[in-house]
Amino acid sequence: MKKPVIMDCDPGHDDAIALLLAFASDKLEVKAVTIVAGNQTQEKTLNNALRVLSFANIEAPVARGAEKPLMRELITAPEVHGDSGLDGPELPEATLKPVDLSAIELIAKVVRESDERITLIPTGALTNIAKFILCYPELKNKIERISLMGGACVGGNWSPAAEFNILVDPEAADIVFKSGIPITMCGLDVTHRALIYEEDIERIRSVGGKVAVMVAELLEFFAKFHMDTGFEGSPLHDPCAVAWVIDPTIINTKKLHVDIETTGIHTLGATVVDYHDVLKKEKNAEVAFDIDREKFVDMLVEAMKFYQ
Amino acid sequence: MKTPVIIDTDPGIDDAVAIFLAFSQEKILDVRGITTIAGNVNVDRTTRNALDLVGHIGKNAKIAKGAPKPLLRSLKTAEEVHGKTGLGPVVLKESKLKFYEKKAWDLIHEEAEAWDGELEIIALGPLTNIAITLIKYPDIKKKIKKVTLMGGACFLGNVTPSAEFNIYVDPEAADIVFQSGIPITMVGLDATHQALLYEEDIENLTSRKNVISETLKIILKENLAFQKKVAGLEAAIMHDAVAVAAVIDPTIIQKKHYYVAVEKEGFFTYGKTVVDLNKVTKNSPNVEVALGVDRLRFIDMLKEMMKTYELL
Repeated sequence: MKKPVIMDCDPGHDDAIALLLAFASDKLEVKAVTIVAGNQTQEKTLNNALRVLSFANIEAPVARGAEKPLMRELITAPEVHGDSGLDGPELPEATLKPVDLSAIELIAKVVRESDERITLIPTGALTNIAKFILCYPELKNKIERISLMGGACVGGNWSPAAEFNILVDPEAADIVFKSGIPITMCGLDVTHRALIYEEDIERIRSVGGKVAVMVAELLEFFAKFHMDTGFEGSPLHDPCAVAWVIDPTIINTKKLHVDIETTGIHTLGATVVDYHDVLKKEKNAEVAFDIDREKFVDMLVEAMKFYQ
Repeated sequence: MKTPVIIDTDPGIDDAVAIFLAFSQEKILDVRGITTIAGNVNVDRTTRNALDLVGHIGKNAKIAKGAPKPLLRSLKTAEEVHGKTGLGPVVLKESKLKFYEKKAWDLIHEEAEAWDGELEIIALGPLTNIAITLIKYPDIKKKIKKVTLMGGACFLGNVTPSAEFNIYVDPEAADIVFQSGIPITMVGLDATHQALLYEEDIENLTSRKNVISETLKIILKENLAFQKKVAGLEAAIMHDAVAVAAVIDPTIIQKKHYYVAVEKEGFFTYGKTVVDLNKVTKNSPNVEVALGVDRLRFIDMLKEMMKTYELL
């Protein structure tokens, strides 16, 4: 039986690949796609999602979400994703249109109408998810789990202590981590091990078909930024959160207590992981630390075959 | 040439071992003075302990009392680790040594002037005294060759998930020191947690009698029991001794230069040494961060220390 999921994302190169991975999986049934601002503005991330899904001939309800974080001004990442948020491949205009509901209304509708509990897979800032939790507390129990890309036990990528998605909307992250909903946190600890090398990009391209070629082009653009910053491959962040839902055996996690820092000067947006359990607080997240990289790449290659 | 050093300390059981270690290498270190600070226990206790520890090994040094509390915050102590007296179950004879008439920061200043740029500081407690020295004598920066400190952590804390005790007690002082421009070597938990002393190491070190063997045995066994209880660890950790070891022989630690900021305001993270591991800030490195230690060579150094004290 397929696991019903909702993708919440801000495409974004790795978000786009996460979407394609989710829709290709015979383990998942993607019920909806909701869009958040982050890697680029809401206008751009929404357009990117619609263009990618149209290009891959995917029909799914897509809803516009938050324009900005709950309390802060939006930070975007053009240095990583380009001015469009999805620079690299030439994609035609979208044929798919967004639904008339907002992101949180769409999530609520899907959750309410489903007999099974829904898994949320957010790969951007947690603004939509936090809003959903605030606005529909009665539906919280129908969420199976949140498997998110964000945070880091050690280090950061947008500040020394914070990962981008959490830093963009730390208050939203705080709401999500305190919600009581089971969380899997795929942060930099694992995503910096989910590296894609040049030969992996060629393997994906050689699957053939326009989607595989587009993904290869996305990865090539994504690699440029990471090569310049000293990585040997590109950490393919967002697909990790999807990969864990498809096959949790390829990712190692540890159940730990995680707090979100919402006030630090140097540490704003840090996911404070109590690795040694010094606080003796309830463990609220499965924190991912390692991934079987080979199996992860195989999973991506298999997904591309779906679109041949 | 011997390195003239001042040890700023809050004894503290691991401070005690650090002091023993420092005085055991008189060909390498010239301990010009000891300045005491509130931290593990209050400053009257840490000063008393410093006098008694130095007296116990028959040495002498200028021992100057420092700040009774952190710059801005109220004092937090660690009696659960170090006991009420600061030396756990160790009871030392009260020594006849008197503490120096000057205050900690004035002694540091006096020695820094006298050594004209050669003086190094080994800071084993909260950095309050060093910060006050910098506030009172801003020009002293050029006259201090280096501060090697036990404190902070690149990865994980001990008193909170993010913070190590010495920095957590006085983050404002740590911030002043880290931003001072004085070369800093940070020997934090990343390194000290590798300097594990297992039961058999403890037996080996303390099997032959000398002036410190009994004291050392009590300290290490007590800490072993503590580590077992709180961390499930089968080893004692003598954080401060690792910082002294790193001054005696800098090659025993693996280190890398990073930009490090001290968090002063975070609700969950204050007292964290924020190490820019992925170089996202582009700020130039201000700290040499110890990431590891050669455990066996550290133990060798302790063995050598025990031999030295046999001759006393």
